[in-house]
Amino acid sequence: MISAGAIAIAQNTIREAVRQRMVLVLALFGVGLLAASQVLSPIALGEGQKVVTDFGLAGSSLLATLLAVVLGSSLLHKELERRTIYAVMAKPIRRSEFLFGKFLGLWVTAAALVAGMTLIVLGLLAVAYGASPWLLLGSMALTVIELGVITAIVVFFSSFTTPALTALFTTATIVAGHFADDLLYFATQGASAWIARTTQAVYWLLPHLAVFNARGQVVHGIPVEPERLAFAAAYGLLYMTALLLVAGVIFERREFR
Amino acid sequence: MSTIPDIAGSRHSVAGAGRSLHAVEALPLLRLDGLGKTYRDPMTLKPFTAVRDVTLELERGEIFGLLGPNGAGKTTTIKMILGLARPTSGRVLLDGREPSDPAARRKLGYLPENPCFYDHLTPLEYLDLSGALFGIAPDVRRSRAQELLARLGLAAHARKPLRKFSKGMTQRVGLAQALINEPTLLVLDEPMSGLDPVGRSEVKALLREQRARGVTVLMSSHVLSETESICNRVAIMNAGALVEVGAVASLLASGVREWEIAVDRLPDVVAASFRSAGYSMEPIGSRTVVRIAEGDALQRALRALVEAGVFVHSVEPRRETLEEHFVRVLGLGAAS
Repeated sequence: MISAGAIAIAQNTIREAVRQRMVLVLALFGVGLLAASQVLSPIALGEGQKVVTDFGLAGSSLLATLLAVVLGSSLLHKELERRTIYAVMAKPIRRSEFLFGKFLGLWVTAAALVAGMTLIVLGLLAVAYGASPWLLLGSMALTVIELGVITAIVVFFSSFTTPALTALFTTATIVAGHFADDLLYFATQGASAWIARTTQAVYWLLPHLAVFNARGQVVHGIPVEPERLAFAAAYGLLYMTALLLVAGVIFERREFR
Repeated sequence: MSTIPDIAGSRHSVAGAGRSLHAVEALPLLRLDGLGKTYRDPMTLKPFTAVRDVTLELERGEIFGLLGPNGAGKTTTIKMILGLARPTSGRVLLDGREPSDPAARRKLGYLPENPCFYDHLTPLEYLDLSGALFGIAPDVRRSRAQELLARLGLAAHARKPLRKFSKGMTQRVGLAQALINEPTLLVLDEPMSGLDPVGRSEVKALLREQRARGVTVLMSSHVLSETESICNRVAIMNAGALVEVGAVASLLASGVREWEIAVDRLPDVVAASFRSAGYSMEPIGSRTVVRIAEGDALQRALRALVEAGVFVHSVEPRRETLEEHFVRVLGLGAAS
């Protein structure tokens, strides 16, 4: 059950993101990207549908990730710097609720960007190639869950560090999260036992973002299996919950000076 | 026979219970008990004590002024009251609860010093957000927001983004959001800051109105003349500690600094004798004001004036203002 206070904070976060016009700029950029994919499709030797699908899904995921990282990095810092948080926290709301509201607002904003862009891709594919729209929905759902995990990572880092470091740590975690399996493979090939153990620990701590990437198979017309979707949803929710709980504890203990 | 003592006994116990109920004192709305806060420099870890051993209780329905020079610890004390900073010693009780408990803040209104609100919102939207955080129903908070904006002279600016507001207008929005939940305790950090004389007068009227409704107000201020005219009690802080706490009237009652006698026209002979007695004289318009420091000297001067046939317009004691008292107390504090 989400508290009314957290919902109010989430609504305010969405309103702020929309009024900052960053969402609009990114949406326009996404539309431009899709238009470019249409221009490129004639030279793709009959693979135009794949180009549009690939461009559309990867572009929407990338832009929404960018939105989450850029807006999320200064999410709490701006509140503390401008002291807007003082009047809010004097009201009957827990710091963890405030943090959750911020997370929720940012996640919904990023998810709406992905959903909007996916709808455009769907429309484009249906009109230009007469393709079935249902194939892309599984991939979109996975991207939305992935964005939840990324937003939770941003909120976690922003609960105790500066915007620049939050952006840096989050980007590093996203990159490492996409290559978690490779990291484990290379670190355990002939490395010392200590390095192997440390790498294994890091491997389990990192978000396994590859779980959420079904774009490769969707481009080739293979739908996302319901079992995969269920596993990704369970893993994603667990990861988000764990990160938000730790972030909540850190933020509860933080001093407002 | 055996029932009578029982009945009497039970009556006695009921009466006893009644007495003990009356004997229970009303819980103070706000209690600070040996409150202290020490910060550590993040680089050097050198401790800095911002507040030390502050003990206070606020009575219901009073306006309490927290005074002190910059760096006295007023804002840190207020932050601890609100749960924004954790005390390193002592404790705060808001209506019997710790400030970290959200329920303790349900009937609290707070105006921060130099307030800054979400500038992407309009005042109506900000008040709606504030009301939502208090769990007030949407239609109730909407009507309260409109009433408050009208009361604070912002009705015409209700749909203008807050980023376009002047300091004084932002201060008014701050007061409106502090009142949206109809609080029983108002904590105002420098409420007069940024307001012009008309604005200050309006805020004073608003605070008196709140007091008349039974609201308790804790306000910090640098504007001592304003504080003197509305506060029932004040506390003076310096270097993190309480220097003095008391009712404004009693703090200033003992301080008759001098007596002022306003006369029409002072004959030269009388003026010369007053001058030799060391009284100060100042012509103000068509009158002369004679200032005398001691009561005995006042009696002698009045006799001399009557004997000389001088028309005495008024005799007034000039008491110490809160500002003078503040400077004197802090001066004494520095000396000791």
